[in-house]
Amino acid sequence: MQKFLKGVLSTLSDKGFRNAILSLAVKTIKLRYKNSLLGVFWSMLNPLIFLVIMLLIFREIASIPNYALYALSGLVFWNFLSASVLQVLTSFIDNAAILKSINLHPISFPLSATLAAIFNLLLSLIPFSILMFFLGYRIDISIIAILPVLFVSSVFILGLGMFLGTTNVYFRDVQLLWISIMPAFFYFTPIAYTIDIIPVESQKFIKLNPFYYFMECYHDIFYYSRFPDVKNFIICTIMALIVFGLGLYFFNKYRKGFISNI
Amino acid sequence: MTQEPIIKLENVDICFYVRESGHISLKEFIFKPGKYKLLQKQFVLRDISFEIYRGESVGLLGRNGSGKSTLLRALSGIITPDKGKIHVNGKVAPLLGLGIGLEQEMTGIENIKLSCALMGLSKAETKELIPEIIEFSELGETIDWAVKRYSTGMMSRLSFSIAIMKQPDILLIDEVLAVGDKGFQEKCLQKVNKLKSIGTTVVYVSHSMSEVSNMCSKAALLNNGHLEMFGDVQSVGDKYLQLF
Repeated sequence: MQKFLKGVLSTLSDKGFRNAILSLAVKTIKLRYKNSLLGVFWSMLNPLIFLVIMLLIFREIASIPNYALYALSGLVFWNFLSASVLQVLTSFIDNAAILKSINLHPISFPLSATLAAIFNLLLSLIPFSILMFFLGYRIDISIIAILPVLFVSSVFILGLGMFLGTTNVYFRDVQLLWISIMPAFFYFTPIAYTIDIIPVESQKFIKLNPFYYFMECYHDIFYYSRFPDVKNFIICTIMALIVFGLGLYFFNKYRKGFISNI
Repeated sequence: MTQEPIIKLENVDICFYVRESGHISLKEFIFKPGKYKLLQKQFVLRDISFEIYRGESVGLLGRNGSGKSTLLRALSGIITPDKGKIHVNGKVAPLLGLGIGLEQEMTGIENIKLSCALMGLSKAETKELIPEIIEFSELGETIDWAVKRYSTGMMSRLSFSIAIMKQPDILLIDEVLAVGDKGFQEKCLQKVNKLKSIGTTVVYVSHSMSEVSNMCSKAALLNNGHLEMFGDVQSVGDKYLQLF
């Protein structure tokens, strides 16, 4: 394991390798919107549609002030989390041709998919932050907390994506499972509602959901204009580290079969 | 020759890890523990040893499925051996089949940039190479078309031109020369010969004995993952023809 980590570190410090990962990420983004008319606007349209539905249906139930801002800040980052895990998890299969024909460390694929997801988020944050202002976001110094929270989220996404992606090479069930389970998790995570409206005895189930802690951090920053709760952030960090270690271990153990199974 | 070999294989085993019986779903794997092993080991190459020296060109012969392409992948570093050692001392340019590594939705020029980046070239180096690559490929203004609109011949022009422009020390060719038209084939052969004359080592997979005897000084015969014979083109070629 130590030898493997050393290998990864020395590859990462290689300039050519970093350039390769960056090019892969740019390619991913270019390809995603290549043959569509609205292009990158699609990643903004989806949360807006959901926002309208939530305003129509859940506003009364949630009963918190300025529900639109709460809903939008949750939606944007929920989309980021769920979509990017999917992109990382299919990255090995998406890049099968490259994986089979160019001598490039296979960790480049999840890494570049994560990078592409972050690019995409930053791009969509430009119009969304303007919209959030109109919905009543008060600018606050706590906005800088977005950097560590995004970083920890990315580590979590990368780890989970590598773990699921490695499994997905052998069992394509995994990507189907992810696609069908995430809409359920959307309702299991306080995005359309706040955790306070859940009966206290049921709240502990919500707290078993790892996404809850990430969403709370984003809500703190963008809805409450305050620094994320330290306990939540620490839980996020611990989860990210565990998932990342697991993903890396799994990836490293089973990647020898990639070429013959993709 | 007393010089160091540029490629050296010592008792190399390469295995494929495939899921047993192909069609077990996650369900069966979880609910019948122990009945299935996740991955089953299959030998693709077994106990391969040979040496290739700088400037030599070696033809790889063998039936379909005998492990030729896998051997090329191993030489290019895409597959690591399960056992044994592969020493390769130089820059390798693998040409593993037609259009592989080309992104269908992107244009020719975008593909050139991507391939160069993936092979570890910097932006500046790539920029320098682009005019040469376009010129050699003779693709002209079609270089701005999406690759999915290319004919097979055009794709092989593009991938060959990309691979060959980096002045590799070792060129691995997997039957891709056969696709272009007569003019381009000859141009490629000339280019390969020119590279050979400045000391590039070539490993060439082909089913055409005449091409191998034209291009190669040595040949290797693979049969069911074993190295049956390694030596001069004539005797290996005879042995190859005896297989059928």
